[in-house]
Amino acid sequence: MIESFKHLEELAVDRDLADVFLKTDSEEHGVPAEDILEALRKRREVMRDCIVRGKSGGGESMGKLVGSEARLLNDAFLKGKTFLDPLTVKAEIYALSVMGENSRMGVIVAAPTAGAGGIVPGMLMALEEERHVDPERTVRALVVAGGIGSIIALSANISGAAGGCQNEVGVASSMGAAGVVYMMGGDTQTAIQAAALALKNTLGLVCDPVGGLVEVPCVKRNALFAVHGLTAAQLALAGVKSVIPMDEIVEAMVRIGRALPRGLRETAEGGLATTETGRAIAQRLKDEANKRRAERAAERERMAQERKATGATGS
Amino acid sequence: MPIRHDRKVSILDVMGPVMVGPSSSHTAGTARLGRVAREILDEDPLEVHFYLHSPLAATYRGHGSDFALVGGAIGLNVDDPRIPEAIRIAEQMEVKIEFSEEDLGEVHPNTVHIQTRGPNREVEIVGSSVGGGVIEVFKINGFQTRFKGDSPTLLLFYRDRPGMIAEVANIIADEGINIASLYCSRKQRGKDAFMQVDVDSPLSKAALQRICSLTDVADARYLDRIP
Repeated sequence: MIESFKHLEELAVDRDLADVFLKTDSEEHGVPAEDILEALRKRREVMRDCIVRGKSGGGESMGKLVGSEARLLNDAFLKGKTFLDPLTVKAEIYALSVMGENSRMGVIVAAPTAGAGGIVPGMLMALEEERHVDPERTVRALVVAGGIGSIIALSANISGAAGGCQNEVGVASSMGAAGVVYMMGGDTQTAIQAAALALKNTLGLVCDPVGGLVEVPCVKRNALFAVHGLTAAQLALAGVKSVIPMDEIVEAMVRIGRALPRGLRETAEGGLATTETGRAIAQRLKDEANKRRAERAAERERMAQERKATGATGS
Repeated sequence: MPIRHDRKVSILDVMGPVMVGPSSSHTAGTARLGRVAREILDEDPLEVHFYLHSPLAATYRGHGSDFALVGGAIGLNVDDPRIPEAIRIAEQMEVKIEFSEEDLGEVHPNTVHIQTRGPNREVEIVGSSVGGGVIEVFKINGFQTRFKGDSPTLLLFYRDRPGMIAEVANIIADEGINIASLYCSRKQRGKDAFMQVDVDSPLSKAALQRICSLTDVADARYLDRIP
């Protein structure tokens, strides 16, 4: 087992980071390395399918709060109306695409969670396309990203309910940053530095979803933090180092998560969720849900009556 | 030293699962909890009652946890596109579904207590969806345990007596199968007891038969990895 990031750094000196993770994960969980790679190849396909569907199609989310973001940005990009560089814009489009699919109850990859599921594919798939990276290297970058997440998970529950959004979006951008460094040919130390820089600068991020849905602010936040992760990777690749080591950042994240009030840990009882607009949306959702429940009950009643009637004529 | 829970999560757990949105803890994790109840029940349920821990009760509906819990409880996988339709499907199967709120004490916010009944069995579990689709079931039919659904597992309900653990372990050893972990608990000395054996590779039907025919075994259930 890889106990810590310090341990990882010692273990992975002069070795390929994906190989190190594959070997230890394979031993730990009894799954052959090739099976892990094969599963991740399929997951990369799921990510790509999400992106293809999400950026062109779209449609309203379950709570009707989001849905058109990926298409809007994609349209602007195709018309040459975006001002950021293509890698950044694509990372945003792809993160929005995945999150749009997620909000419509589409099939996605939780990476590491569904609510933060746009960040890793956004970063890695945009980089793969823009830098013409071999898809197999993307798959190995998914190993690296997953490996980073698995070390964080030794100390922290990866959920907004446990520690706020830092535990989801923060962790995702950290994992993605390490994956990007790996794809760009950086070494283990650099990958860990990227993960550290990304995670450190999300600490304190709260989980305050409007109406309790994975829609606001989650969908757009994924786009913004995909770019955050790319920036962290860029700094690390240039030799910038985090003063606080990664293990201590994770520790800080856990402490901050514990200190967060319940209302800011996914309960929709604080922050954005309890703004004037947030409350109004929550009320609308509640009214709609009650209406649907009443309709379902009426439908059940009608079916029961029908069964009774046909039963009576039948006998 | 900070307190660590040392939860060993695999790369595929972190970078997954492939699932129907929108929330890994509220949709994928809850679907898997429902699925655990269904797998232990081993038949189509007639009735399922979900008691949601208060924080989950506050948030479950918006995340589709109701579809997911029901979907799992009727046997759907977390990546099954029919999950959004699960409640309707359950109605067609004439499964009686009920949701209520319950204070489950000092547990993870996303914890649920599930009671399910089929023609032949009744099953009761309490478990948490701890994030990223990972689950921890800590009560099965009233017995304390620690079940994650990430390996093949034998669940044994029996009357507490000396030698039982050794007999079960011997049968598994005869198969050349390694035991990864073992949890035992009982309600009272010499009375109802429970054993959970997580194994590294699948157990054969013959071995399960031998375990079932041991004296004092009331019920044995063999579960594959929960998808």
